[in-house]
Amino acid sequence: MRKSSAVTKIAVQADSPKLNYKEKDRGCTAMAGEEAAGQNKGFKLLGILDVQRTPCAREAILHGAGGSVAAGMLYFLATSRVRRSFDVGFAGFMLTTLGSWFYCRINNAKLRVQQRVIQEGMRNKVIYEGTVLDPTNKPNADAPPGPP
Amino acid sequence: MAHPSQLGFQDAASPVMEELLHFHDHTLMIVFLISTLVLYIIVAMVTTKLTNKFILDSQEIEIIWTLLPAMILILIALPSLRILYLMDEINDPHLTIKAMGHQWYWSYEYTDYEDLGFDSYMVPTQDLNPGQFRLLETDHRMVIPVDSPIRVLVSADDVLHSWAVPSLGIKMDAVPGRLNQTAFITSRPGVFYGQCSEICGANHSFMPIVVEAVPLEHFENWSSLMLEDA
Repeated sequence: MRKSSAVTKIAVQADSPKLNYKEKDRGCTAMAGEEAAGQNKGFKLLGILDVQRTPCAREAILHGAGGSVAAGMLYFLATSRVRRSFDVGFAGFMLTTLGSWFYCRINNAKLRVQQRVIQEGMRNKVIYEGTVLDPTNKPNADAPPGPP
Repeated sequence: MAHPSQLGFQDAASPVMEELLHFHDHTLMIVFLISTLVLYIIVAMVTTKLTNKFILDSQEIEIIWTLLPAMILILIALPSLRILYLMDEINDPHLTIKAMGHQWYWSYEYTDYEDLGFDSYMVPTQDLNPGQFRLLETDHRMVIPVDSPIRVLVSADDVLHSWAVPSLGIKMDAVPGRLNQTAFITSRPGVFYGQCSEICGANHSFMPIVVEAVPLEHFENWSSLMLEDA
């Protein structure tokens, strides 16, 4: 019987000598017992939100928790109303989580756009290097001036 | 490919799939917050001592629970529509491949320059080498150059099939007598697995799709070898 779960490093790649990519994270390596045990399984809030793997989620939830405690405590200290303090704390949680989440996601999106622009620039640099389209070409000082 | 007991998406291998992952995270956070709100309201309702059997109407809360869901839906719909139109863009493909579904295998045709075509059958479990994936490996992979826009024309020879590769964010129905078009770019080299996604008979679960993205010179070598073998 074939022990498909026993061996499996990324040996599949050995069949294709042309292949350069090695999948390092939770793809095929999770099938190997030791590596699967070593990886984080991810903590899912309410069973749906994986705060460890979702970008900005962990920060948003932590900020929300802090905002919730701060808002609830401040309201309680000001009014001594317990139940309403919980309501205010919960509202603080929602608003702080949302605010932190969108702020982080917008910055994340800007970074991704910059990353793509840089990647495109690097790719074009390789293609255009040494040609007249190379943006790093310095103009020749001895060359005759252009038309007025 | 997916790892055992995986529930979430696979890692993205194309820009469209990256956008889909980000949209999913965005929507999931909204869903999580709504679920938390509902849970809190349930606990508050169950534990309150306040009772008033004669409340008839309240304009303020009616306005809130009308406007708030509308704003949430707009917040979800706008990125959704953006991605919907993004997925329909076809930006000057470098290569066109025809993927034909049969019972029960896929065939691929690269006819842009030479007449290259081959069938792609699943490797039976007893023929797998150590390290290969059960029910996912094929004898011939669809090899493509990395970082190049690829157009795939999907059709079928007999019954309905569906050509799907989750990590590229692609699923396209293969309908007999119809050509469906999709396009993608792989951001990184690698091997990407998918399975037929439309019930097509006894061996519907046993006709996988394997896309292998390699650098251009390797793709050229591969296509030369395949043409020689043909």
